[in-house]
Amino acid sequence: MSLKNKACIVGIGSTEFTRNAGRSEIHLAVDAVTAACVDAGLEIDQIDGMSSYGTAGIYAAELAPDIDVARSLGIPNLRYFGQTPWGGGACCGVVAQAAMAVSSGVANYVACYRSLKPASGTVRYGRPTAIPAEYRYSYYMPYGFASPTMWVAMLAKRWMHETGATREQLGHVALVCRENALRNPRAMFYGRPLTMEEYLHSPMSSEPFTLHDTCLENDGAVALIVTTPERARDLKQKPAFVTGVGFGTSRDSHSMTSFYRESIGLPECTEAAREVFGMAQLGPKDIDVAQFYDAFTATVPMQLETYGFCKYGEGGAFCDGGDRIRLGGELPINTSGGMLAEAYIHGMNMIAEGVRQVRGTSTSQVKGAENVLVTGGLGVPTSALVLTSGH
Amino acid sequence: MSIEYNPKYMKHFYDPVWESFENGFWEGIKQRKLLFQKCAACATFSHPPRVRCAKCKGDRWEWVESSGRGRVYSWTVVRQEVHPAFRVPFEVILVEMDKEPGVRLVSNIIDCTAEELSFGLPVEVCFQEVTKGWALPMFRKVVA
Ligand SMILES: [Zn+2]
Repeated sequence: MSLKNKACIVGIGSTEFTRNAGRSEIHLAVDAVTAACVDAGLEIDQIDGMSSYGTAGIYAAELAPDIDVARSLGIPNLRYFGQTPWGGGACCGVVAQAAMAVSSGVANYVACYRSLKPASGTVRYGRPTAIPAEYRYSYYMPYGFASPTMWVAMLAKRWMHETGATREQLGHVALVCRENALRNPRAMFYGRPLTMEEYLHSPMSSEPFTLHDTCLENDGAVALIVTTPERARDLKQKPAFVTGVGFGTSRDSHSMTSFYRESIGLPECTEAAREVFGMAQLGPKDIDVAQFYDAFTATVPMQLETYGFCKYGEGGAFCDGGDRIRLGGELPINTSGGMLAEAYIHGMNMIAEGVRQVRGTSTSQVKGAENVLVTGGLGVPTSALVLTSGH
Repeated sequence: MSIEYNPKYMKHFYDPVWESFENGFWEGIKQRKLLFQKCAACATFSHPPRVRCAKCKGDRWEWVESSGRGRVYSWTVVRQEVHPAFRVPFEVILVEMDKEPGVRLVSNIIDCTAEELSFGLPVEVCFQEVTKGWALPMFRKVVA
């Protein structure tokens, strides 16, 4: 028995992406779920499950807790609720959980969402305002090693040393994402082009990264509706089938500080790749377009390697000049602009873009796209999806 | 560049907290000793500490004092402030220990500029007082 094609995404909804949404995470989540219901052609009260995630404990308003979102939507009962841990690593796993819930009959219509407001709120992901007294941080925080940018910089620096990848190659990832954002009116960087000159002369934040290597910080929420293929037939949109799901931690997994493995690359992605492609019975050569979790430029070529689009050490060259990863290339990536240039919604916006590619409605549409890979956050326990048109 | 702390912001940063199975490491730190966890059954090192040996699943451990010698495995130079407690720029290094296979440690280097850092640079531990209560293991260049 397999989860392959037992569920599909039938609705996508989003708030605006902005520096200041002027409302809370719960409010943003309610707006995104409402938009997803409208998109799907579903009554709000038909939602009977919620699958969500965040970085804080389940009672924090920052998470936009499912009961608070359900209450504000007036939903009478949740037959399924679940949260997936590890921040952006969870994003595809949230959809996997929803697929398991609807395919097993635990719920009929599950709303998946992520809502966050680091740009105007109190919880900022790039800059800690207080260091939590948690055992896992005692090895790092006293040394000033205190942000995701630094943690991933440590991995990326070693990877660049081992593979010979260059700053220019990373720059092409940033430039291609920006090109895609220039076609996407929703994107934070819509109308804001980036040149290699600007990229290379931007000041370092944590070497080897500059501002242009790290994702946006913005307010917003994105929601998806997951149901069974049978129920999808009565709804408005062409369904995006959940053809493969995969989770992975690999051995000796820490949250963003997995520095103790034989290779400090991204072995959790290798594990998730095997699972997601195994279930989908597809491989890298079958993928028409990929949405790679791009909180940092370097993790795109690193994922090209770990998801099997090229060998270890070839990811940098794959991005060289940008031609292989831009629209019209052999593997267009991050067609909404990704989190480097559309918005940082912890990966949920990347999944919505995967759905658009299957529907044929992206602002950077890959002609005839059938099979889409979407990946979750890196350097943390991760997850991935293959979305297809179901054929 | 050495890491420089702004004392005004330090109070909630230290004291380290840890799990029961990490006592050996942190009790060592209190005595300015770098102790690593070594499996009593199969001699596999583990850092950060854990409950059972990943290799043989044994749960008897020895806490072995390290020579403190290692090599720079990776690093980052932090140039944009993320918290006022730490004055930029400063370097964070990942040290691979010489005598304890598979053991790496995140720390700072105290006597090196960003330009002097290199992969494989030999370093040795030196304890640096961070607050009145805590001195932490940091590293300096090994002088040949
Ligand atoms: Zn053992």
